[in-house]
Amino acid sequence: MTSPSTVSQLPPVMGAMPPDATPVARSAGADAAPAPLLAMRGITKSFPGVTALDAVDLTVRAGTVHALCGENGAGKSTLMNVLAGLVQPDAGEIVLAGDHVRFASPAEAMHAGISMIQQELHPVPARSVMENIWLGRFPRSRLGLVDHDRMRRDSRRLFQGIGVDLDPDARAGDLSVSQVQLMEIARAVSFDARVVIMDEPTSSLSEHEVQRLFGLIADLRAKGVAVIYISHKLEEVMAISDEVSVMRDGRMIGTSPTAGLTIGEVITRMVGRDLTDRYPGRQVTQGEVLLDVDGLTSPVPGSFRDVSFRLHRGEVLGIGGLVGAQRTELVEAIFGLRSIAAGTIRVDGREQVIRSPVDAKRLGMALLTEDRRASGVVPTRSVFENTILAHMPRYANRMGIVDTTRARQDAVRVLGRLRVRTPSLRTPLTSLSGGNQQKVLFGRWLLWDPEILILDEPTRGIDVGAKFEIYTIINELAAQGKGIIMISSELPELIGESDRIVVMCRGRLTGIVDRADATEATIMRLATDSLDDEPSAVVPGA
Amino acid sequence: MTRRSGAFAMATASMLLLSAVPATAQDATAAEGGLPVADCAAPDKAIGVAVFRFDNEYLSLVREAIGAAAAAKGAQVDVVDGQNSQPAQNEQIDLFISKALPAIAVNQVDRELANVTLEKAKAADIPVVFFNKEPLPEVLSTWDKAYYVGAKAEESGAMQGQLVIDYWNAHPEADRNGDGVIQYVMLSGPADHQDAQIRTVESIKAINDAGIQTEQLQREIGDWNRAMAIEQMGAIYAQHGDAIEFVLANNDNMAIGAVEALKANGYFGDSGRFLPVVGVDATEPALESMRAGELLGTVLNDAVNQGQATFNLACVLAGGGTPTAENTGYAIDGQYVWVPYVPVGPDDIQ
Amino acid sequence: MTVTGTTFDDDTRRGWRPGRPSRASLGEWITANVILVVLVGLIVAIAIYDTDFISANSVRNILTNSSTRILVALGAGIVLISRGVDLSGGRMVGLAAVVSASMLQTETYSRQFYPDLPALPLILPIAVAIGITTLLGVVNGLVVARLRVPPFIATLGMMVIAFGMTAIYFDQPPNNSQPISGIREDLSALGTGQLALGPLSIPIIIVIAGTAAVIFWVLLEKTVFGKNVYAIGGNPQAAQVSGVNIVRTLIAVYAIAGACYGLAGVLEAARTGGASSRYGELYELDAIAACVVGGVSTAGGIGRVRGIVAGVLVFAVISYGLTFIGINPFWQQIIKGVIIIGAVAFDMSRARRTR
Repeated sequence: MTSPSTVSQLPPVMGAMPPDATPVARSAGADAAPAPLLAMRGITKSFPGVTALDAVDLTVRAGTVHALCGENGAGKSTLMNVLAGLVQPDAGEIVLAGDHVRFASPAEAMHAGISMIQQELHPVPARSVMENIWLGRFPRSRLGLVDHDRMRRDSRRLFQGIGVDLDPDARAGDLSVSQVQLMEIARAVSFDARVVIMDEPTSSLSEHEVQRLFGLIADLRAKGVAVIYISHKLEEVMAISDEVSVMRDGRMIGTSPTAGLTIGEVITRMVGRDLTDRYPGRQVTQGEVLLDVDGLTSPVPGSFRDVSFRLHRGEVLGIGGLVGAQRTELVEAIFGLRSIAAGTIRVDGREQVIRSPVDAKRLGMALLTEDRRASGVVPTRSVFENTILAHMPRYANRMGIVDTTRARQDAVRVLGRLRVRTPSLRTPLTSLSGGNQQKVLFGRWLLWDPEILILDEPTRGIDVGAKFEIYTIINELAAQGKGIIMISSELPELIGESDRIVVMCRGRLTGIVDRADATEATIMRLATDSLDDEPSAVVPGA
Repeated sequence: MTRRSGAFAMATASMLLLSAVPATAQDATAAEGGLPVADCAAPDKAIGVAVFRFDNEYLSLVREAIGAAAAAKGAQVDVVDGQNSQPAQNEQIDLFISKALPAIAVNQVDRELANVTLEKAKAADIPVVFFNKEPLPEVLSTWDKAYYVGAKAEESGAMQGQLVIDYWNAHPEADRNGDGVIQYVMLSGPADHQDAQIRTVESIKAINDAGIQTEQLQREIGDWNRAMAIEQMGAIYAQHGDAIEFVLANNDNMAIGAVEALKANGYFGDSGRFLPVVGVDATEPALESMRAGELLGTVLNDAVNQGQATFNLACVLAGGGTPTAENTGYAIDGQYVWVPYVPVGPDDIQ
Repeated sequence: MTVTGTTFDDDTRRGWRPGRPSRASLGEWITANVILVVLVGLIVAIAIYDTDFISANSVRNILTNSSTRILVALGAGIVLISRGVDLSGGRMVGLAAVVSASMLQTETYSRQFYPDLPALPLILPIAVAIGITTLLGVVNGLVVARLRVPPFIATLGMMVIAFGMTAIYFDQPPNNSQPISGIREDLSALGTGQLALGPLSIPIIIVIAGTAAVIFWVLLEKTVFGKNVYAIGGNPQAAQVSGVNIVRTLIAVYAIAGACYGLAGVLEAARTGGASSRYGELYELDAIAACVVGGVSTAGGIGRVRGIVAGVLVFAVISYGLTFIGINPFWQQIIKGVIIIGAVAFDMSRARRTR
């Protein structure tokens, strides 16, 4: 399949290894080794003020899963955006199956067989699944009208081929996040993709759905597709990938077969130093009850019902569950963003009616929401404005005029503590990397100094180093006697960071587990508690 | 949008106007206020009146004149607002026809589409009196129960020109540079408006026909309104300054706008400086401005007589009669009644 | 190959360092302030055509002509920044003009709107006029924030309602839809009077508009309210989660806009010496165009007072300058249209380049 000359043109990938990394020979069995399908060489890209990519090389073989790791801002997404035609490189070349290619647009890349499934998905919510899949290339009847029957047939065949269970006529807006992702994968496959890029594909999936996705990836690999897999979840990387490339600060550190690597080694390459313990330890000194939730029930059928738990001072209370467990809905109701039909909320022993976030804030609550883009970041405003958004009145005089000098000092303090990487406070928040954006949003609430901090997937899409910093801060806050509620879909994080774990399943609280008794198995059992008799409900909303 | 007439207040309005201008000569039977009364019986049903838009200042006067004429006769009128939309007006005409009203009076939104209105009326055999916006002659001539009441736009231009001529001849100092030529500024209405085109051309033509040479310093196209004219005149004055000897505006709003702009540049009032500005319409603010010694003159578009004539014709036609000078009080020129404009010069004010 | 051994030192992971950002280059400044460049370019172009254009008189006329438009644009601008749009501005201008003029006629004027009305203190009718439009603004805000009616629809409705109110008021006997004139000296002084500041005499109307712009600048850039408006415009959900009272803020936004329109209407009556129901027609679109040209985003969250004022001035310079040099007025329309589209297209391409 591969001509020797092609191979010789490729740069010596292994030579890119840092000296301390163990160079491992190409996976055993040279004639069975998949051919280099894609080679990116010397890719360089600068944005105003930043060199995002500095002469990066990447070689990917057909029929392999190639993981791309690195901290936030390491350049992974930019590199993939170059490959998918979203960003034009300043220098460098791309060779796809022996041909030099250059993609001026994502459409060109797609037609050449390169599909990218973005971390943040953008379906057309009001249109059907099949229209989303065939958008831009609808099958036509002889009259020039859209041939819906053929589109439906093609969609069904496509879904069967990759084992996806979706209704072609369902409205895309009615799908769950994971279903949308499956739809996007199906769309990628429908282009006869030779390279499929997945950017943090599991960030909003439950464990069960992750397994299904892995099955799908294995199928793609078996069909000879090269899958480039970007993830911060190193357990997943180790489980699914054949090779791992690590980037740091816009440079390629090196590529190795996964088989010879440990998670620790990958982390070391990513951060440039050892991170021995991923969860900093903490002295637990539980105080009196801070928040007492009793029989909380949503007016929406199928949402949370009869949920009761207590949060103590100095405690980190984890909330685990699958997608559709209604965890987000529960904390949003506590924060006054959703209404409740029944139940009481006591703060410091006093019963409270919380109608809006304004009320919740007055009671000392803060909520870091799950969906950073939808309800966190104000994209038009600077890092500074985003940081002080929740507490401007604190810096205002009687005329309502904000004392920016004082606010700036506090913002500098908080962002410095979170090690936010930004050119300046005036930089638009959206020009920071995803992890740094999340840290700024975290900083927004740290500035407020709340008593009860509710964190909904606080480390989603964040690199390992930043995660450690956030865990450290959570621990500090707990040590100061604050109460912290943390929703997380990552079981290691849930177990590593929580004192107790509330597990929910389809709106009901199915158990509260102490840290000492918590294992992934016990939590998964509680999280799937009522699902045994209803297998179809694995993906709620299906 | 339907509104029963009964605007007695209109009488006051017409008195005010009439007191300011010489009464128009009429030889028919004059009722109180000097207006001719139609020789017809009040019809059982209301006479339909479609006005192109209620917020038009001039047509508000016409509409009130129609109302007053009907009230004096004890007749009813059904007045509707076309909201400046020909499709909306067409629906109102349809409604009138379905009510089988005895006669309708129509102030077209779009004069070019009067044929549609006429065809509808003709098919239902309901007489129609167009007013203020003239249908094309070839359209009006297709039916003998269709009439038009209005003014000749050329007349307003010519009369405005006459005001300029009179002032020029009586005031040698008006020729500021002594070259015997009138250097003037023209503030025109919208370019697609027939009256604006005619007034712009006819006023200058009248002056030239009187043997006076003219030189146009600048012409601006406005939207009949005051605010825009102020701004245009401000810029024009900044450019030409005292080279300007006359300002002609297609209507009073724009003329007053020019006066306001000149005031800001030190004219009128206590300054003792004067620059002749003439308009058209004889609106109350224009007359007031004339009384204050600012605006030189204007031309009355006789809303009261237009309204009276429109009603008189419609009333006669509703009774099945044929309009004549005797039964309407207005001279009938074939299918036309021409209500003359009236010049309002400095001598006509107090 | 770019990797030159390991650099596993902490330097590569350094946190954010506080410090002053570097000064932007001239090129960047021009890109960020394209509207000012356009403004200066226009003035230079007209001055090349006719050097007499550069004069104190031109400056005074252009600023005077801009004054009421600046007020309307500030109102339209704050609504746009809050991720809304206000189509009712022009008609509110007309309403306030008619209401204030109707109560401030000279006793000697022959056609009185209120024949028996005693002479009122100047401030009273002005307060009534501005009060009415502010109230209509509150209604706009309630409909948008509480009833969740899209701003385009809510204010489209209000536009029609405000005109209806004006027309009914204007049409009542004895006025019967006749233009209101003969307004009192003290009112017209606001529109045409001068304020002596040492050797300079500045038209009062410019002082009023300038003061309003300064107040808006403080309001938007310095106060909690202003920052909340920007946040709501940028991401309403994020603002809500952060505990910003969206309903109250939006009501205030539309009310402030209403007050601006009201003041603009009063000044429109003052500077023209009268009023009619047609006053202010389509001013809202001129205002939105000025805002957009001045860098206000129709998607919300972006816009500055400086840009709004510059946007108004651009159009004022075009209409004054081209009239001054006597160019066919229809060219003004084409130039205005080109500038509207060009300014926004430039903004969009800049947004694409930076990300």
